[in-house]
Amino acid sequence: MIGVWGALAGAIVLLLVLLAWARAEASSKDSRSDWGASDQEQGESVESCSLKIVSQLFSAPDSKFISGLESPGLENLFRRERTAVALHWVQETSATISRILQRHLEASRLSSDLEIAMEARILLQYVRLKLNCGILFALIHLLGPQRLAGAALHTERLTQRIGEALREFQSAAQLREPDGAGTP
Amino acid sequence: MKAMVKPLPVQEAYEDLLQRSLSRIPCDLGRLLYLASTRDYNTGNYHHDGLADRFSLKVARSALEIAHRQAFCKVAVLSLEDLVRDLATYLQCSRENPEEFLRTWQRLEPYRIAIPMEVNPTVARLFASNVRLALAVLRLRRESDHSDR
Repeated sequence: MIGVWGALAGAIVLLLVLLAWARAEASSKDSRSDWGASDQEQGESVESCSLKIVSQLFSAPDSKFISGLESPGLENLFRRERTAVALHWVQETSATISRILQRHLEASRLSSDLEIAMEARILLQYVRLKLNCGILFALIHLLGPQRLAGAALHTERLTQRIGEALREFQSAAQLREPDGAGTP
Repeated sequence: MKAMVKPLPVQEAYEDLLQRSLSRIPCDLGRLLYLASTRDYNTGNYHHDGLADRFSLKVARSALEIAHRQAFCKVAVLSLEDLVRDLATYLQCSRENPEEFLRTWQRLEPYRIAIPMEVNPTVARLFASNVRLALAVLRLRRESDHSDR
């Protein structure tokens, strides 16, 4: 009986965390313009040193360094700081994935030879990445970022790969349609 | 016969900046803050008299902007331990009173002006968060030094 109640409580907590994620993502979309960078600029800067940053953000050596100082106050501060930045990274990654798909959909609307299988694969990857972000968001809240380095790096690599693949796909489509849409 | 490849003006200006100015600063954080200080708060444009005289206003501006972004990326990916060491070097070189320095930096967070304009928001947050942590570590070390005496 306790097991059933425990599972129910766990499911409710997970649902609440996912709801918080959905809200946080919506607010991050609103505040993004504060930084003044365009989508393209942001995309480029994400790619330039993003893997290094993700490694640094989820890194165990920093956590060990702080633990070695034997100060509970400092350990608390470290946990709070890293959790906040890691959650922000998940929101940004999730928003980047949405932007990539949005651009792809815009390009697809103009394309005359859509491949249904390819589009379905892209949609599946999108859903998978969004799900990854949701789970990471919940786990960062529950466990803290330090135990999730592998999952975070995997998500970052996958996001970069899907971005690159869609860019290549779009340039190939443009090459196939030199006199495409836009000419009267 | 050797083919001579002439470096681009911005690259030349960048190397000149590295050799004449940045090499004299002993820590990464110091170099970053120096470069950030060449940026106008109102316009976001960079300016360096010497560099603009030797090259041109536009070339100097580009070189400073690139150098700033690179210096920022370097500091942002420093491990916390390395950042604490770097900050300690910066504090020592500033010759300010350490107590006052730490208090002011914790309250005013002047290091935020070191963030370049077009930078990934997560990187900017990680940088500010790491500096906050490094300041807390230095303060803790000073407090434990005092209590040991």
